[in-house]
Amino acid sequence: MDSIVFWGFNLYAWITIATVLTMFTVLLFTKLRADLVFLGAIAILFVTGVLDAKEAFSGFSSTSVVIIGVLFVVVAGLTHTGVLQWIVKHLLGQPKTYSKAVVRLMLPVAALSSFLSNTTVVALFVGIVKMWSKKLNISPSKLLIPLSYASGMGGVCTLIGTPPNLIISGLYADHTGNAMNVLATTIPGLFCLFIGVLSIIAMRKLLPDRKAPEAAFEATADYTVELLVPSDNPHIGETVAEAGLKEVRGGSLIEIIHYDEMITPAIDDEPIMGGDHLIFAGQIDEILDLKKSHGLVNADHHVFTMSEVDKNRQLLTAYVTFGSSLINTRIGGSTFEKDNNMVLVAVARSGKRINESPRDVVLQAGDTLLLECPPNVKIHTERLSSQLQFFDSAQVPNIGKKTLVSTTIMIAMVVLSALNVIPLLQCAFLAAIAMLLFRCCNVDQAMKAINWEILMVFAGSVVLGVAIQKTGIAERLAFGILDVCGTNPIVVMAAICLVGTFITEFISNTAAGAMFFPIMYEAAEKLGYEPYPFLIALMVSVSSSFATPIGSPTHMLVYGPGGYRFSDFMRIGLIMNFIILFANIFIVNIIYPLTPLNP
Amino acid sequence: MNIDIKVENGTYIGILSGWLDTNEASQFMEDIKVLEENIGSPIVLDCKDLEYVCSLALRGLLKLKKMSVAKGGSLVLKNVTGEVQKILTMTGFIKLFDIE
Repeated sequence: MDSIVFWGFNLYAWITIATVLTMFTVLLFTKLRADLVFLGAIAILFVTGVLDAKEAFSGFSSTSVVIIGVLFVVVAGLTHTGVLQWIVKHLLGQPKTYSKAVVRLMLPVAALSSFLSNTTVVALFVGIVKMWSKKLNISPSKLLIPLSYASGMGGVCTLIGTPPNLIISGLYADHTGNAMNVLATTIPGLFCLFIGVLSIIAMRKLLPDRKAPEAAFEATADYTVELLVPSDNPHIGETVAEAGLKEVRGGSLIEIIHYDEMITPAIDDEPIMGGDHLIFAGQIDEILDLKKSHGLVNADHHVFTMSEVDKNRQLLTAYVTFGSSLINTRIGGSTFEKDNNMVLVAVARSGKRINESPRDVVLQAGDTLLLECPPNVKIHTERLSSQLQFFDSAQVPNIGKKTLVSTTIMIAMVVLSALNVIPLLQCAFLAAIAMLLFRCCNVDQAMKAINWEILMVFAGSVVLGVAIQKTGIAERLAFGILDVCGTNPIVVMAAICLVGTFITEFISNTAAGAMFFPIMYEAAEKLGYEPYPFLIALMVSVSSSFATPIGSPTHMLVYGPGGYRFSDFMRIGLIMNFIILFANIFIVNIIYPLTPLNP
Repeated sequence: MNIDIKVENGTYIGILSGWLDTNEASQFMEDIKVLEENIGSPIVLDCKDLEYVCSLALRGLLKLKKMSVAKGGSLVLKNVTGEVQKILTMTGFIKLFDIE
């Protein structure tokens, strides 16, 4: 097969190119699990003979993938002992200006993200920033994009801060036998963060000024109406469905209050009784027509006062996530409410309540849903996390002695590996064991913290990188880039970083890192330079995805709560991509001057 | 809450007593299954000593009444007084049942 060459690539290379393109098309346009897609790609490369068994499964024994897995346990110890909460409590404060607020927010978030998972940090901060923004009288949309950007830029500052850094440094160690220092990216990362913070402050006008989505739900009276069934109503004894009261013009019945009991959610076969208070959600003016059509009256004589009813209500706010199966569906046309024991009360989009019957609204990513659940029922928000991101769902642990213990373990891990006393893998294992021994988290919490899907994707990314290199694609692309960009190493470095920055807007940062590693490595060697500075620049660039909400999971976390639109990220993010690219190339070439390879 | 069920001349007679609240309702639903199994026969429920009835139990009674009517049987409530009468009046269920 090596002998069949078409456009400079042999058949194995074409199989690899087709597999990679198909894989990303499937990831972009279907809802298949990413780990399965990567596994499928590995299977194709193995079965077709592109990779042998050792290469096909090299990702699963890769040191960097193992480190990522072990670090999940270390991070579980930190999050369950309240380290994040302690930092939030002591660092945010009450700044007087927007600029100071951005600094007070971005620096601690970046510092935390340099050691913890960016997604964990942003998930915790989203709720806090929303409350904080209210206190400061700043729109949350002005602070949530900076929050997400800070976590991305902070993650770059250490090798353990973000998976692409570990993958690239792991591949570098495999190729050269030299391990990168855990703080290798710290100075370039901090410089880019500094430039990033200044840029956000300078470009604040490009950030939208939107009302918080929940503000549309603040007054209960705005979205529900309570009607009373008189004792001589002709529908008494009929079920809700028989009386035609479940789905009504403009809304739906969400709650029935009998004289001694509240039925939430209202069920179809519940009988109507005189004296019942019926709570409808939707378009109030249209629902009030029920007074004429069904002989209902205004509930001016309350069996319960409205405040008592509110106390008994369990209201949850959630955002429709990207890739959610609820997108393009109507809640009224699905079994979602029945399956999850909750009812939809209202829908808001971009901070404004939608004036339609909520159950008829065709949902979009980022829509905010107000849901009501029966009182005293625990809703398992984690189970629904692929569809909805619940606001205030983070569990808040107590801050105590273990907070100090887990912080000490983390710092010890970083210092020992940074000073090369113990290699990072062993350090990570020791830290994870220490977290368990000192009960910063229990075994269950540790096991739950390990995200196997993400690990599979990382392992798959490493294998794809191997295929791209083995089949000569990396070399050809490197030559192609050199043909276009000439032999100036800084131009080549900038060009590959530029492509990496934009590719990473659409694929995972880790996959971009694994695939661009061989291209950058080959390009550096072809130019006759040591690849180390090129790879540091690559680490920064594949984590610099600012221009689309799908560029990073943290962007998706803030998308709904900020009431953002897709274009909001484009407006500021495109400029940010270029600013950080220039800052990256500038600082990397100062800190790590290019050195020719020894002949 | 207590319910004693006996059969006299083909009529099922249930004597209800006590406080039939939400906690007791599920047991009540179990107890009246014997009446559901013999639906079509005349049923009389004596409420003389029944002090209270919750909405869940009312739902059970309404279901029994509908089943009975569908099978050509009958359901009569007897000796309805006090709190139970007030509840039946307020809910409008007083018009749905035959009361003696």
